[in-house]
Amino acid sequence: MSIYRQLWLAIIGLTALAFAGSFGISVYTARNYIEQQLFMKNVDNASSLAKVLSQLPSKDPVTVGLFISAQFDMGHYQEIILTDPEHKTLFEKHYTGTETGAPAWFVHLIPIRAEAGEALVQDGWKQYGTIRVLSQSRFAYQALWTGVRELATWFMLAGLAAGALGTWLLKLLFRPLTRVVDQARAIQERRFISVDEPATPELRAVVVAMNTMVGRLKGMFAEEASRLDELRRQANHDPLTNLPNRAFFMTWLQEVLQSGEAPASGSLALIRIADLDALNTRLGHLKTDQLIQDIAAGMRELVGRSENRIAARLNGSDFALLAAGDDDAALLAEQIQAELARSVLAKWPDQPEIFHVGTVPYRKTEQAGELLATTDKALAIAENKGPNSSHSLDSTASAGPGLSSDAWRRTLTGALNDGRIRLERYPVLAAGGQALHQEGTARLQLEPDGPWLSAGEFMPMALRLKLSATVDMDALQIALNLLATGDSDIAVNLSADSIVDWSFRDAMIDILRQNPERSRRLWIEVPEYGAFRHFDAFRSFCLQLEPLGCKLGIEHFGQQFGEIAKLAELGLDYLKVDSSYVRDIQQNAGNQEFLKGLCKMARNFGLLVIAEGVQSEAELSTLVELGFDGLTGQAITQRAKG
Amino acid sequence: MARGRNRLIAGITAIIALAVFCTYSTFAVLGRGFNFDHQIQLAGQRYGAHGQQTMEQWRNLLQSLQGSGRTEQVRQVNDFVNKHLTYTEDIDAWGVDDYWATPLESLGRGVGDCEDYAIAKYFSLLILGVPVDNLRITYVRARTGSPDNPTFIAHMVLAYYPTVESEPLILDNLVGNVLPASQRPDLYPIFGFNSAGLWVGAAKNSSGSSTAQLSLWRDTLARMHADGFE
Repeated sequence: MSIYRQLWLAIIGLTALAFAGSFGISVYTARNYIEQQLFMKNVDNASSLAKVLSQLPSKDPVTVGLFISAQFDMGHYQEIILTDPEHKTLFEKHYTGTETGAPAWFVHLIPIRAEAGEALVQDGWKQYGTIRVLSQSRFAYQALWTGVRELATWFMLAGLAAGALGTWLLKLLFRPLTRVVDQARAIQERRFISVDEPATPELRAVVVAMNTMVGRLKGMFAEEASRLDELRRQANHDPLTNLPNRAFFMTWLQEVLQSGEAPASGSLALIRIADLDALNTRLGHLKTDQLIQDIAAGMRELVGRSENRIAARLNGSDFALLAAGDDDAALLAEQIQAELARSVLAKWPDQPEIFHVGTVPYRKTEQAGELLATTDKALAIAENKGPNSSHSLDSTASAGPGLSSDAWRRTLTGALNDGRIRLERYPVLAAGGQALHQEGTARLQLEPDGPWLSAGEFMPMALRLKLSATVDMDALQIALNLLATGDSDIAVNLSADSIVDWSFRDAMIDILRQNPERSRRLWIEVPEYGAFRHFDAFRSFCLQLEPLGCKLGIEHFGQQFGEIAKLAELGLDYLKVDSSYVRDIQQNAGNQEFLKGLCKMARNFGLLVIAEGVQSEAELSTLVELGFDGLTGQAITQRAKG
Repeated sequence: MARGRNRLIAGITAIIALAVFCTYSTFAVLGRGFNFDHQIQLAGQRYGAHGQQTMEQWRNLLQSLQGSGRTEQVRQVNDFVNKHLTYTEDIDAWGVDDYWATPLESLGRGVGDCEDYAIAKYFSLLILGVPVDNLRITYVRARTGSPDNPTFIAHMVLAYYPTVESEPLILDNLVGNVLPASQRPDLYPIFGFNSAGLWVGAAKNSSGSSTAQLSLWRDTLARMHADGFE
């Protein structure tokens, strides 16, 4: 029972008690007083009447009766009785009305019993009889009843006033408590937040304890996270430059070439240090390492904050830069040359020849091995051109749709207006094999009866043309419709741009509010890159969606692992781990240890961990062993079909 | 100090013992619960040795009259009260214009006016077991002086009715003998009363109530009650 309700009950109880007490006392005294007054009146009237009758010269029954009747009829009497000395009734008058001036139950509950007044009547020295007088108590009942009713009314009003005042006071007193309760609720929902300490000492103690606990938890998470992050780095990064290593890069490249969500085309660059052995001999080991680090710094500059670029050190002398979405390989080569000139050549003026660059554009359909071989060709041509030169080759594949921005806008808008969009659904299964949800990714048909494009093919353009929110909203609507007809949960991807878009968020919350039952079966996921780039927007997005009951998650998780502690206060429900960690996991001991730690830690947050892009049975069984809660990918789709 | 305390304890013990003794020496035989020893003790405290002595004599008389005939009881009570009270106006005896004394008060001090005589006789007879219906304290107009030049005074006597229908015997302090009403042409009855309907033990409407003091008669009954007349 809430404290307010308890307070109200206490006030009602106290008021009732006070009323009962006051009622008892006032009724008792009033009744006592009334009975006294009535008794006095009875006695006085009896003796007056007795005196008159005693002095009556002739006491014939008619005269005596007339005297008594006159007294009775003029006055307010219940009864007047004259008895002889043997107590036999000589004459009597009774009031026959039943009107009492108060409800019968009240009269029954609180009877007024005034004693009758008695006086003796004489006839000379002889006893004539006894006169007995009892007055009307009707007015007394009426007065008592009115008093009781007024008392009850006042007590009710006073009780209500006390209740209102008490509620208000409690609210005032418990305002700090509300914050404490909110914090406790947040922790229950896996949002680990700290709150300001209230002034009330008792509550302060609680808040201090909870804040300390939250701080300690966060600290533990952060510590564990940094340990795991180190593990991840060791498994996937080159120790000297801290760039991704060859294994990581190759998985990444394959993913980019296969995944439906990655841009459909881009460029690949290889950068090779010219004659590393000679350089080593000339400069010595330490200085060579310094030079390699300078090149790595240049590569990092080239990646910048782009989501679609990744740089890696493939071996001692080779670096790679993958720029998905950048079709112009020649431009990329120029960019690389310019950056390396700034960050490397300028620092090593004594070294005439340090690197060569080869670039090649690609389309998604290509094989990673062939693409690398073509790039190697470009690099070989550059090496023959002279020191620090570059060369770009045209890809063997033909160019893409090759539409202008305006044409793209027209076709995209047309497709969206005509509703040529659908959700391709892939099953996501729990480790035990039961269905978790279906992940839906958008497919778009540019021309009626044309081919259905994957998200990777149209999303880069949609993003550039600021149409991604429309695409996401359509996808959300389709998902809600599917939820109405089907019985499995559905997950929808939202782009980072949509999260930042206030009008999109408001519209989305409106729709979800209208469908509370379906919202509970909706899983909403945002790519890791977008979530961390717009972290504040993402946090408020999470807090807004929390009460609507839909599940919230991050997809393609893994790159920003070091910041996982930040997720502690968001109350997320699941993480989808990027497929680059999943590929051939059965052979990658380093990543196995990292993912095992991740699963353990996520469990502490109450997060489900789902693996993306599972392709083989070997991967699948390893992932289940590592503690993954859910799986998706080709192997899972086939299993679901079979 | 210790000795003083011992004496105090001894005193308290004595009082308790006395109280217990008094309780047991109540005259249960007298129809009403009336604790003579308590009355005598009160008289001693309030009015001194003489008052106490009169009360003791009163007790002895009433005890000795147990079982005697009604007429004998009436005469003896009449004589006793007439003998032990000296007629005194209320203003001289009690310092107020009109005061109705209880038997303890009038016998204790040995003074009273006409109603005090009547009241003392009334309660004496009640204690002896005379039914209340057979007793009436009566306001009378008394004629005094010579028959040629009569003067009238307001007076009060006690009328004893051997039966409720019969002619009463008059217990008066002006005339020593108890005479039937017919032999008292000097008295003209105005109004008679007794404690019926007023005296209902300790009931709320009688002596215990706050309105009792507003009436002289009820006030007297209340004081009787307070002094232990049940």
